[in-house]
Parts: sequence; C-alpha cells; structure tokens
Amino acid sequence: MKRKLTVASAVFAASVVLGFAAPASFAQNKPAEKPIINPAPTAKDWADIGKLPDWSGVWNPNISDQDRKHRSEPPPWNAKAAAVIAFQAKELKEGRPTPLFTNCLPEAHPSWMLVSHNAMEILFTPGRVTMLGESDAGRLRRIYTDGRKHPPDVDPTFHGHSIGHWEGDTLVVDTVGIHPQVYIATHEAFGIPNQGNMRVIERIRLAKPDELHFTIKIIAPNVLTKEYETTRTWFRQRARKFDLVEGVCQEGWFAPRIDKDGWHIWAPQPHDVGGNRIPPP
Amino acid sequence: MKSWKQTLIGTSLLALSAAAWPVAAHHSTTMFAHDKVVSISGVVKEVHWTNPHVAIYVEGAQKGEKPVTWVLEMTSPGNLTRGGVWKRTSVKPGDKVDVDMAPLRDGGKGGALKKITNIESGVSLSANLREQEGVVEK
Repeated sequence: MKRKLTVASAVFAASVVLGFAAPASFAQNKPAEKPIINPAPTAKDWADIGKLPDWSGVWNPNISDQDRKHRSEPPPWNAKAAAVIAFQAKELKEGRPTPLFTNCLPEAHPSWMLVSHNAMEILFTPGRVTMLGESDAGRLRRIYTDGRKHPPDVDPTFHGHSIGHWEGDTLVVDTVGIHPQVYIATHEAFGIPNQGNMRVIERIRLAKPDELHFTIKIIAPNVLTKEYETTRTWFRQRARKFDLVEGVCQEGWFAPRIDKDGWHIWAPQPHDVGGNRIPPP
Repeated sequence: MKSWKQTLIGTSLLALSAAAWPVAAHHSTTMFAHDKVVSISGVVKEVHWTNPHVAIYVEGAQKGEKPVTWVLEMTSPGNLTRGGVWKRTSVKPGDKVDVDMAPLRDGGKGGALKKITNIESGVSLSANLREQEGVVEK
C-alpha cells in the first residue's frame, strides 16, 4: 500500500513538474511578447452592426448560373492543368464524372463559393463576418473585419485566413493560406488542385434586394496563366422551410441499422466509384 | 490503345481522385442517363434520409421482369425540404410505389429519382433543385 502511494506520488510530482515547467521552457529563449487581446465589443460596436447592409436570411446558390459560368468563363489554366481539364471533360461526357468531392473533405475556398449546391447563412458580429454552410458537417468561413493583417506565416487550412473590410456596401475579402490540395473547381466534376501560393480576393454586395453577388478573383500562379475573375449569384429566401439544417457529409458513408444486440449503429455502406450507393446483389 | 500522354493524364487524375473513390458525397450525376426514363413498380424497403444524398431502396421491377432491389439517389435532406414538398416521412418503408428514374448508364439497378408516386394515395413527388431559382418566397 505504502509503495503504491509512493509511486502515485512520484507520478503526480512528475506531472506537476512537467506540466508547470513546460510553458516556462518554451519561453526561455525568447523575450515574452505581449499577447494580443481581442477586445470585448462595446454597445457602439453592436450598434454599428445595424448600419451594415442586411444579409440575413438563407442564401442559396444559383446553380443554373454556376453552370453558365462554367461554360462561358473558363479559367486560364496552364498547359498541365488544361490537359487534366480536357480529360475530365471527356470523362464527364462518357458518364464518368470525376469524383472531386466524394471523399467528403470540404469543398473549401474558393470552390464552396463557385460550385456548391448547398445553402448558407452569413452572420455579422463586431469584428467578424461568419459564413455558415449546410454541408461538410459544419462548413465555415471566418472573415476578420477588425483591422488585423494576415499572420506572416499562415498555417494552411481548407478555407484559408480571411480578412475583410467594407467599401460602402461592398465587403472586400482577402484570403491566403489555403491548402495546396484544395481544388479550384468550376463544376462538381471539373477541378485542379491550386498547388499552393493562391490568393483569393472577393467583392461581395447586394446587387438586388434578394441577390448577393460574389465577384471572385483567383490568383494561383502554379495552375493559372493569369488572374481569373468570375462572379457567382446567391438568392435569398426567408420562408422558414429554407432554414439551414445539419449537413454531415460523412453520413452518406453509412446506413442506419440496428445490430443483433438491438443497438442503433451506423453500418458502412458500399458505394461505386462515382459515389453512389451500390444496390445489394 | 492509349497514347503515353493520355495514360499520363489518366494516371495523374487517378492519383488526384484515388482517396475519394470509396465513398459518397456531392458529385456530378452524368453516371445517370438523364435522357432516359426507367419505370418500376414495387415496395419501399428503406429510406436513408441522410446527407449528402437521400436514398430510397425499392424492391421492384419493370413490367414483366423479376423484382430486385433498386437504389434511387436524390439530393440532400436540406435541399429537398427547401422545395416545400418533401419531408423525412414523405416516403416510408412498406409504401407501394411507382417510380420514374434516370437509370445508371452502366445498367446497374439504380438511378436518379425523377418521380415517385404512392399507389394507394396517388400522391406524386419529384424534386428539381433548380426550380427554386428566381422564386423568392417572403
């Protein structure tokens, strides 16, 4: 008993030493930097939100517009990318659409804005605009409007690091730090990895009372021969039936079943190459 | 015989897409022959009201054929409910139904659902996501 206590005490002591000593050791070679604090919003900050354009409601992508832009505004792909796009076109025509997004990783930025078939909502809070989409198990873009700059060495993510500012009624968003694997897609079956060093600049405004226009400039020197600019249209609905619901993409990997012991489980669901469930034999 | 260039492109594409192959998600639908209609009658076995695509399993047959299980793919639950007609319980296991689908091009027993009619109630449901565009409901 005594021995057990001693061992336990030793483990506890070691935890304390490691747990408390570690932060000190991280800082010892560098002068302490003053942490940047995000200030609590003031009543004026909240009042200023009320002066912004009204982007409430549910925003739905105009898919016919996406289809038109895919055909009429192709990106200026470099030769290597153009060869893959040509292959994807051939595959699509023959009934084998390239399954770019069937793995349920996020469509990500800018493809979410370009090809999504799912609705989103846009929230304004002091210092930030947040876009919430109905897919990928919680599709999300955070756009900082508090005046901060991009970090000097951004950790890459699917949606990148976005900073925005208002020019009148137009929100201008600058995004960097996007994973190089993220597609620039103009269709669910046409897309090329951006290959890194991509920057996306958006100008977003209400073109009509219920129509939000995204003018999207993509600078991706590793796959495009020049800057590419295109627009996408989202339309607003306020009917409650349009409210966003949960959209867990991975749900489709499984089928709801009850096992032999009566437990409700998710059973793996076989699919074909194109992403469709395989009928049972 | 593929040229080396075609093979190279194909290989690159395969590498780009390999991780994506085993699972289901948002994808183009040209694997379905949208210019064709296959009609079956049968009984609903299961309804998977799941993202990203709802699926309805029907034990059914084309006229004069032996019944087998068909899988009908649709869009997401959110997109269906936004149409204002569909609910999770609109189609239930045990329902006797007539179905029109755009069939799989490869001849598999599946398709993109065009219309499903409950034989007993006579209620028909279809879903075209693009029909919502330009119609603003206040």
